[in-house]
Amino acid sequence: MEARLPAFVRHLFPTFAGAPLGPALTWSLRALARRRPGLFDRLGDFAGERYFIDPVDLAFAFVVVPDGERASVRVTDKQGGGDCGVTIRGPILSLLALLDGSQDGDALFFNRVIAISGRTEAVLALRNAIEDAELTPADLIGLSGTPGRLADAGILGGLDVARRFALAAAAPAPEERRS
Amino acid sequence: MSGPARMEARMELVCPAGTPATLRAAVEAGADAVYCGFRDETNARNFPGLNFSGEELAEGVRFAHGHGTKVLVAINTFARVGEVDRWRKAADTAVACGADAIIAGDIAVLDHVATNHRDSVRLHLSVQAAASTPEAIRFYAETFGVRRVVIPRVLSVPEITALNKAIDVETEAFVYGGLCVMVEGRCYLSSYATGKSPNLNGVCSPPEAVSYDEDDKGMAARLSGFTIDRYAPGEPTGYPTLCKGRFNAGGKTSYLFEEPVSLNAGSLIEGLKKAGVTALKIEGRQRGKGYVSEVVRAFRRAVDAVEAGGDAVEIDRILAGQSEGGRQTAGAYRKIWR
Repeated sequence: MEARLPAFVRHLFPTFAGAPLGPALTWSLRALARRRPGLFDRLGDFAGERYFIDPVDLAFAFVVVPDGERASVRVTDKQGGGDCGVTIRGPILSLLALLDGSQDGDALFFNRVIAISGRTEAVLALRNAIEDAELTPADLIGLSGTPGRLADAGILGGLDVARRFALAAAAPAPEERRS
Repeated sequence: MSGPARMEARMELVCPAGTPATLRAAVEAGADAVYCGFRDETNARNFPGLNFSGEELAEGVRFAHGHGTKVLVAINTFARVGEVDRWRKAADTAVACGADAIIAGDIAVLDHVATNHRDSVRLHLSVQAAASTPEAIRFYAETFGVRRVVIPRVLSVPEITALNKAIDVETEAFVYGGLCVMVEGRCYLSSYATGKSPNLNGVCSPPEAVSYDEDDKGMAARLSGFTIDRYAPGEPTGYPTLCKGRFNAGGKTSYLFEEPVSLNAGSLIEGLKKAGVTALKIEGRQRGKGYVSEVVRAFRRAVDAVEAGGDAVEIDRILAGQSEGGRQTAGAYRKIWR
């Protein structure tokens, strides 16, 4: 079963509230490329591709260009992917599970939890690059050592709780299960 | 190894590794051996972002051997005229990296390894060679010193039993993942539609020819513009491979060759052991760490249970979520369709 955030989250965080994420994630990706220069090699020619990442349970989406030290992330509204070669759409918790490798992208796709359109080869290149990178939250925010381990434990633990909460909220009530 | 000796030996679990990260995941999940390939057309999983450089393979071999796991390198496409050196160099690199075996189907590659590396690496015959008769297998064993043959996914368990009684080399059987129902290495369906060959370029349904288009009625999966299948909203999907497409023929719309399903022979492990199979292979070098960890762990438990005299029935339920099209089949092992 897919785990979606409750509907009120869309209203709590409209597009303009997500806007600061763009510069922060851009800085984070570029810093990551400086620390681990080989990380983006698997993307090959697709490093310059524009990926429209649309978390269906958030009010905004992202346009990501994973081009190493020239990488960029822009927060946009749901119609902002017109010039992108690839669209990847799904619940935010499932998209984050792809980042940390805890769920399999093909299985999520086969079961219609995530949807893709556009250049399939670019999707595969991105998926395989992310898989091999074995990114942790600490990698993305530039922490190492004990602070990194604490950040990983806190953020991954928080995501796990959020997934359980979302799954419990999506489960049918006992009366519905009996009918 | 003789037939009875093969039945007494523990079966080997051979697991996919598309990237260094999935290699480590497979090893940590309990693989006895992992198989992988180089980042070029010498291997039949030549997808963007996948596979190993020479340096990555050497590091992967060190990691695997450190955990008691073997590394088998697939150099299993067919070499092109005038380009055979690329395949020879791939084999030389695999040997230099410390690979335990090379999986090959092309006689030029087999000959190169047999002539130059016979004492330092085992030769396994790739499923791409489609060797399914005692005569064919004996030819490869006697000519090139092949020690194991990966058998095509079109044989029933009784046929594998009969085959094993007639040959002196090990057999490796697919037990989970993508199900190829064609004569492997000789299928031209993908070439017809896309101009690229799984046998030469290493890609069946190359991703640059694949598109998924959503509309109000659901999703269309296309290959080079050919609509291979349509899925209603929420219906589980599969890869748009021609052998698993829905066709109009004889006034009916149906899956002519095979439905979009995954092979799962988890419940047949004991039968395959009794049939004399040496190694069980999990398909899926194009899949991610989540798949590799879950499937390898489930099969590790199942194989250990069978080796201890138990059964492995629960594996079907555990792995249903990883299946193409959301469905599983025992394929030709329990033959009902041929």
